[in-house]
Amino acid sequence: MSKMKDSKKKFTFTTEKFLILIIVLYCIVVTCVNPGFFSAATLFDMIKSSAGSMVVAMGLLLVIITGGIDVSFTAVAISSGYIATTIMMNTGINNIFFGFAIAIIIGIVLGLINAVLIHVTKMEPFIITLATQSIFHGCLTTFVGTKNIGSVDIPTAITKFGGARLFTMTDEYGNKTGLSIYILIVIAVVALTWWIMYKTMLGRSVFALGCSAESARRAGFNSWKTHLFVYAYIGMLGAIYGMLSIGGVNACNPVSMVGTELTIIAAVIIGGAKVTGGSGSILGTLLGVFIMYLFNQTLVFLGFSSSWNNLFLGVVLIVSIVITSYQERRKNRRLFIFTE
Amino acid sequence: MKKLKASMRSDLTLTILVFFTIAILVFLAITLGPKVYNGRNFQSMAFQISEFAVLAFGMGLAMLLGGIDLSIVANANLSGIMCAFVLSNAAIVASLGDGATIAIAVIVALVVGTVGGLFNGFLIAKCSVHPIVATLGTMTLYNGISTASTGGNGVSGFPKAFTNLGVATVSGVPVLFIIFMVLAIIVIFVMTYTGFGKKIYMIGENHTAARFSAINNEKCIMIIYAMAGFLAGVSGIMISARVNSSKVGYGDTYQLQAILVAVLAGISPSGGKGKMAGILLALACTQILQSAFTVWQFTPYSKKLIWGVMLLAMLFVNKIIDYLDTQKQKQLLDLQLAQDAE
Repeated sequence: MSKMKDSKKKFTFTTEKFLILIIVLYCIVVTCVNPGFFSAATLFDMIKSSAGSMVVAMGLLLVIITGGIDVSFTAVAISSGYIATTIMMNTGINNIFFGFAIAIIIGIVLGLINAVLIHVTKMEPFIITLATQSIFHGCLTTFVGTKNIGSVDIPTAITKFGGARLFTMTDEYGNKTGLSIYILIVIAVVALTWWIMYKTMLGRSVFALGCSAESARRAGFNSWKTHLFVYAYIGMLGAIYGMLSIGGVNACNPVSMVGTELTIIAAVIIGGAKVTGGSGSILGTLLGVFIMYLFNQTLVFLGFSSSWNNLFLGVVLIVSIVITSYQERRKNRRLFIFTE
Repeated sequence: MKKLKASMRSDLTLTILVFFTIAILVFLAITLGPKVYNGRNFQSMAFQISEFAVLAFGMGLAMLLGGIDLSIVANANLSGIMCAFVLSNAAIVASLGDGATIAIAVIVALVVGTVGGLFNGFLIAKCSVHPIVATLGTMTLYNGISTASTGGNGVSGFPKAFTNLGVATVSGVPVLFIIFMVLAIIVIFVMTYTGFGKKIYMIGENHTAARFSAINNEKCIMIIYAMAGFLAGVSGIMISARVNSSKVGYGDTYQLQAILVAVLAGISPSGGKGKMAGILLALACTQILQSAFTVWQFTPYSKKLIWGVMLLAMLFVNKIIDYLDTQKQKQLLDLQLAQDAE
């Protein structure tokens, strides 16, 4: 897709360019108003808080490219994270890798349930995952428990993992800041997603299915396998998201997280992924998540309270989707396509 | 009798819904009896259900088009808050008096709701944005406007006459419920008996075919979303009148429930199928279950689980009915082909 655009040599107003423009302008404005914004501490803090969303956004990107959507990933995240933490506490195995393994297994199983339901009923994935979201979260809160695991009870391995840093520095006030270990996970997941998307047949099938399910079938792609893969993948990344956010706040509340899924979906859509399927880019998605957290954390520097966050996000989201959709519509009208 | 049988078979989803509702009503009558079936409970149910029922109709309209309106609760809250700003403004109340203030507030809320819905329609029809994405965007925007203008706090301090509307009854029936019933009858009439309704069903069934059948797709889509927005505005007024304040994030669970009710009513999420009248039945069914859950003291989480399971089960049932339907049509086609061959 990007190669085609380059070969045209004509300036097209893509979503990525729009997002970079916004980020640059915004950073300039914020730095002018409040020079304290431009510091390593802000950046590191933002990286740590956005890590989980970036990880799960990669999975969401793949799902959206196949033409589906998943709103159940927050329920998957908190279910797998909470169960993994509980098992770690009950068995006494104080090892972060053990926790991750259990969470990922649960996440994959829940993702596969989604995949089977979506593939078998051939219903709107939005409605199906909305139902499974309440089922997963309902099962967790009804059968496992609603007890909040506080920072005192939580296994020390998780505390250590959440506080681990690649390097630390001390600023002039004596506060220690550092780059969280979370960035390694983000880089690994992004690299894996890039490799799957552009270097494997599986990635080709994801794009093919999103462009046209019927053509993909006739070209010999197995849509069943692709569905299983993408929903299991977002289940897995959802589980990682759960563990990262549990480590981040060093507590585990089973009624948190669920309800924030639409914000992350909005971030992915800001990044230019098309919900009708077939197009989306990793860079755009990362920029989308980044811009969301940029507003979230830095509106304070501009003197706005955090309640303005949604307003800015909504405006950017609508402008971004109108740019993508309206260009598409004009292109289609020129070719006499009236499908939408 | 034969006619009844034929009409039952022609709309299997509605028939199943009718029997399902009756089964639940009878089951609850046997197990709980007067605990659920008493005048006071019915009245409190009528109070609770009105604001949500109006939203469910809005969601049903959008889903009939094959779309969805995620912004409907945000829109209701936004119009409620705008209404509350007018009502709690001491200067307006002092200069115009209670009656005129309430009239202005109601008009403001309805206009805000309709414009909000129209904006959804504009994005979907004129810019070809996918309904989920468009309404997700406007949901964020409307919530953003509400939060930014209130700072996340509730707005209250309304004239007494307005809050009386929330508790007023006419011979035992809440006024809010009467307003809802009137709106519901209008919507059902428009969607069932007018040409406009037929057009909507056609667009929901197949966008492209409708466009090439001289139906003004874009206009119809905008009107439907504006209607959904108008209903959201009505719901916003009802919420402010009943709760006596307006706040962002009120009724967040209505989103899932509204979709559940629409699916339960047999409105297919892919559009073009289902009857608006089914929503009334589905509402009765869910509301009576809701009050039974209260009697059984279920936690809100297990309620959520049950709603989820019900939604999924209903999707499966609809799927099976669809499958049987196509099988039957295939058989008929085969029969005809065989006859033609002879």
